[in-house]
Amino acid sequence: MTLKEIKGSFFLVFVAVTMGFFYNYFSSSGIALFGQWETSNGVVNAISKAGSVNVSIEINNPEIVRQIIQKKERIILDVRPREVYEEGHLPGALSFPWMEFDRVIDKLLEITDRQSPILVYCSGFECMDSHHFATNLKNMRFTDIKVYPGGFRQWQEVGYAMVKNEK
Amino acid sequence: MKNNIHTTILFLIKLILGITFIYAAYHKIADPARFAKILYGYAIFPGFSINLLAIFIPFIELVAGGCLIFNIVPRSALLLVNILLLGFVLMIGFNLLRGHQFDCGCFSFSNRPQTLSNIYLLIRDFLLLLSGIYLWRKTKTGVLQ
Repeated sequence: MTLKEIKGSFFLVFVAVTMGFFYNYFSSSGIALFGQWETSNGVVNAISKAGSVNVSIEINNPEIVRQIIQKKERIILDVRPREVYEEGHLPGALSFPWMEFDRVIDKLLEITDRQSPILVYCSGFECMDSHHFATNLKNMRFTDIKVYPGGFRQWQEVGYAMVKNEK
Repeated sequence: MKNNIHTTILFLIKLILGITFIYAAYHKIADPARFAKILYGYAIFPGFSINLLAIFIPFIELVAGGCLIFNIVPRSALLLVNILLLGFVLMIGFNLLRGHQFDCGCFSFSNRPQTLSNIYLLIRDFLLLLSGIYLWRKTKTGVLQ
């Protein structure tokens, strides 16, 4: 390995980094230079131009979520795929898979109205589906939507009761 | 004759490595937010570095792969390719050893991490690394073309 080859590699890295920086700056799918990767601040994400997370609607506390479920203060929606939901979910949660949003939204409107308090969750801090679902509901003039960012994984980790195969 | 076959093999290795890297970069460049989340899933990188890596690594792959194919400072490009492959092998291997479930995001983005597919990825990247090292050893400075 010669010094020339090593210098050449550094030059290529410099070219690549410059290209990456400019592409990211001008691209509609670009991301911030520093993302949100602290689970204590809610759903982790890269903070993308294409759409980010509305932290203000998050309830980032499993104990509060447990109380909400116990008191039946909100309709709980599990937006993970149906087969994953059937393997285990939060007590009282209804299956409304994000991937089937257009199909399940009619079902939601049958069982509730747009003013009803709703809590949405998916698999955990790495999952954005609950936020996507909540955003769609907001766009459809639902007025009281919250997201539980810890999702099913945190619920399991803290050891709270879960339900299997409840349809 | 034997020399021709050997030259053809070296050319094919170069082509495979170059195309693989360009193809791997494509998905990551198209969806950097998703790639950043995959890097987070590795549970190796500090938070402040994740977005920077998600922005720059795909372009390093693209430039290295492109330069290798088009013979622009090919030895330097091959050096980068091998360093990246070594990094991938170490990261995937480390996570498999500690039983950490993850999605490598190497070529496309899947929904659920699979241990079996990650073993396959480790083997694939290891074979690519061996090919890259072979190419490096068999091509002296300036004769990679």
